[in-house]
Amino acid sequence: MTSRAEAPTRAVGRGQRAEPDARARASANVRGERRLAWLLCAPAVLVMLAVAAWPILYSIWLSLLRYDLRFPAEREFIGLSNYATVLTNPFWWSAFWITVLITVVSVAIEFVLGMGLAIIMHRTLVGRGVVRTAALIPYGIVTVVAAFSWRFAWTPGTGYLANLVTPGAAPLTERASALAIIILAEVWKTVPFMALLLMAGLALVPEDLLKAAAVDGATAWQRFVRVTLPIMKPAILVALLFRTLDAFRIFDNIFVLTAGAQETSSVSILTYNNLLRGLNLGIGSTMSVLIFITVAIIAFVFVKLFGTAAPGASEKEKR
Amino acid sequence: MAAPSETGRAARWRWGLLDTLVVIYALVPVLWIASLSFKTPATIADGRFIPREWTLDNYRTIFDTSQFVRSLINSIGIALIATAIAVLLGMLAAYAVARLNFPGKGTLVGASLLIAMFPQVSLVSPLFEIERSIGLFDTWPGLILPYITFSLPLAIYTLSAFFRQVPWDLEKAAKMDGATQGQAFRRVIAPLAAPGVVTTAILVFIFCWNDFLFAISLTSTERSRTVPVALSFFTGDTQFEDPTGSISAAAVVITIPIILFVLFLQRRIVSGLTAGAVKG
Amino acid sequence: MARRGRWHRAMVAALAAAMLAAAAAACGSGGGDETPVLNLYYSPEENFQKVVDECNAEAGGRYRIEYQVLPRGADDQRTQMVRRLAAGDSSMDILGLDVTWTAEFASAGWVLEWTADNKAEAEEGTLAAPLESARWEGRLYAAPKNTNTQLLWYRTDLMDRPPATWDEMIEMSLQLKERGQPYEIITMGSQYEGLVVLYNTMVESIGGHILNEDGTKAVFDEGAVEAMALLQRFASAGVTNPSFTNAQEDDARLQFQAGTGAFQLNYPFVYPAMQADAPDLAENVRWARYPAAEPGQESPVTIGGFNLAVSAYSEHPEEAFDAALCLRSPEHQKFSAINDGVPPTIESVYADPEMDEAYPMKNEILESVRDGALRPQTPAYQNVSTVLSAVLHPPAAIQPEQTAEELRRLVQDALEAQGVLP
Repeated sequence: MTSRAEAPTRAVGRGQRAEPDARARASANVRGERRLAWLLCAPAVLVMLAVAAWPILYSIWLSLLRYDLRFPAEREFIGLSNYATVLTNPFWWSAFWITVLITVVSVAIEFVLGMGLAIIMHRTLVGRGVVRTAALIPYGIVTVVAAFSWRFAWTPGTGYLANLVTPGAAPLTERASALAIIILAEVWKTVPFMALLLMAGLALVPEDLLKAAAVDGATAWQRFVRVTLPIMKPAILVALLFRTLDAFRIFDNIFVLTAGAQETSSVSILTYNNLLRGLNLGIGSTMSVLIFITVAIIAFVFVKLFGTAAPGASEKEKR
Repeated sequence: MAAPSETGRAARWRWGLLDTLVVIYALVPVLWIASLSFKTPATIADGRFIPREWTLDNYRTIFDTSQFVRSLINSIGIALIATAIAVLLGMLAAYAVARLNFPGKGTLVGASLLIAMFPQVSLVSPLFEIERSIGLFDTWPGLILPYITFSLPLAIYTLSAFFRQVPWDLEKAAKMDGATQGQAFRRVIAPLAAPGVVTTAILVFIFCWNDFLFAISLTSTERSRTVPVALSFFTGDTQFEDPTGSISAAAVVITIPIILFVLFLQRRIVSGLTAGAVKG
Repeated sequence: MARRGRWHRAMVAALAAAMLAAAAAACGSGGGDETPVLNLYYSPEENFQKVVDECNAEAGGRYRIEYQVLPRGADDQRTQMVRRLAAGDSSMDILGLDVTWTAEFASAGWVLEWTADNKAEAEEGTLAAPLESARWEGRLYAAPKNTNTQLLWYRTDLMDRPPATWDEMIEMSLQLKERGQPYEIITMGSQYEGLVVLYNTMVESIGGHILNEDGTKAVFDEGAVEAMALLQRFASAGVTNPSFTNAQEDDARLQFQAGTGAFQLNYPFVYPAMQADAPDLAENVRWARYPAAEPGQESPVTIGGFNLAVSAYSEHPEEAFDAALCLRSPEHQKFSAINDGVPPTIESVYADPEMDEAYPMKNEILESVRDGALRPQTPAYQNVSTVLSAVLHPPAAIQPEQTAEELRRLVQDALEAQGVLP
């Protein structure tokens, strides 16, 4: 059942009568609802604040300092200087655009494959349990191990895939092919994530709507595009949003496959090199904040695009 | 979508074919890892998909010391507890976000997204210092709390997205038909909410299971070391040798709980389908 | 709601139980006996626990060493230790430092200086190059435990005698290539520390300098530029393995074992591995000293290895010095050398006949270490290394003059912890 048919269940708004009693009752209900809502949210909020608030604020603070962990006494406040340094640095931009490229391409592929996989997992008439379990296994394998096995597979001599492309070639040593392999590794690993979220969304599309559409003469494709996709919007938003946020922060696959060589470094690898290898807390934190800002912009764009399907949107605007 | 009339043999064959493709796509690389785990050190680099020489040595080695088994126990325990709590807290908050109107709703969702978006590599050092000072370093709660924190955003978002699609009115309808509150909830609402909850549980579990960054920064001994970190401690036979064989064997072993977890839950993912359509 | 309430309570109970259990475990392990516990943080070495046990026995109750294993990768080890040292963690006593970390740890005040008797004992009979790697600004900050150096491994069935210089090696390789025989010169060329080691060896062999005397300025003099040219020549001569630019130590070993190589430049660990994995090939493989850049002189080879240092925050520094000296004593170095494949730093151990079987190449190792070269010693070494490996990769794309200019700029920034690391 879609929510189109249901009336809002909130106490407020159900015919506001002019009696002061009713209004008093109504605002008491509103207060009660608010209290309940805050009560329900409180545990989650408390945990998140307790654990994450200080580290995030501290990181942002660090980005305004010149701070090398080896020389803690030489810490000094330099304002936005770090940002200027990072944003005018070619290494940053090279990593940035590579990350954007990898993100866009891999999420696009993952969405298409994920949708297809979701449909299969949802609709298949044969071996449903097997397909669902098998399809989720890639997501469950430890990323580093999977990356190692891909590295082995794509190195000529040690693996079975290298020779499929061109005998004797080393695809990991060329930029374009290395990027393709990285994207392939990412896609293989996280399509199940997409598929799982999309499948749960698929499951809530009512059969009778589809039946009605079929009776009206719509083809399978039309049914998909006109009926299924719109109803799945919230699930699609969650899947795309979180997947994009994660894709932008890709690290493990690149680290293992190429160690960032041939300019396949992502912004996360750059941050790791500056923060944990270089012990430069100022620059490293700056990069983190920049990554965060970029990712926030992406999220903002997504939510705007999907508009009312976002969970935080007001009830009144439900489709 | 396939219309219900196409349940004939042709349809079954078609779906079977698609299934097989999916399974191949998903499992071939996994079989490669398994094949690496059965190879002897001499043949591990021979590039063949099927091992020429088989050995169980790699599996024997990883169980030689208590290190790996201990890390398995840590991983399972920490991931299960973190998942249970995260899903629970997420459900409560998601219910509020999806069904109730209250000031600060947008802020809550936005702020939790913020937490999910901030690069975790910057957060481990401050977290390490906090945990060290309150004595949570190298303990189970020391990992469970960050895991809950960083999976709550996804949990809240996912669950609220699905809760919004659940027709809550059915609960009222059921009660009008004579069911008690508990029955109404259990029979009508819970099955509809199940897909979202199960999906969230699977995703959160896998996040906790696979995390490396927090685990390596916030643990130091076997007491709380999880599997991904334990893998980075494996050594090869000689100094620079990569322990590819034992790592692959360990990877195969640790995938099994995932498989079990998913197998157990996957049926419940779409159990809401039939229930939801009934009242329509 | 009632159902949820029940769940809620159950979950809270579970969480409370879990936290209690964890707290109990945390509390239970402290307190107890009086013997000071020394926490040793060291790279994973399979048989090192036996050395630890022996030292505990020798200590006779004065202290007890607990071996806390660090991750396998050097970067991970450093991250773990630095994070805790920067926080003033007093639960670390003895630290296993890679030879390139001494300057960094010493200048940050994280490790104690070795003085008087301890210093004398640590220096006695120790080879010069590893000892130098444990010094910073003239003071000793660690006791060398083991060292490592690369050798040239070559196929005796393809040539009569090994080459003495790089150019000779490239020549021989090309000739073999023409004859259709295995010809590759296999070594590590991935974008990581190993590439810096390779470049550093070449620089030292030519007599150039990367940094100035006190490590404050990025010089890259003529010799360093020449070394770049040599590296570029080697990488583009068509004699390397296709995966050269993605190969680390173990990859190189596997490549050589696969049989396509005529030469291998790698650490001695390849020898026992080759004996085990490819005995037929091993029969035709011998070793020699690393090729030089110029004829007529032996090449200094960049050494690796581990030194044992005492944490500045240790609560039992006296015992820690003692324990460290025991862990790296001559007999224990011999034990580790034979059982874990890590060459000793004390000269007398090499003369011991028990070393012969595991180290038929021990003389070459000893000579290489005696002539050993160090990587630039500066507290900012990690930065320098990151920049070097990024700019010099892929080696075939090096343009000596331009690359040198770029490096002077970037490495200077790295030395001063300015700018962004690649």
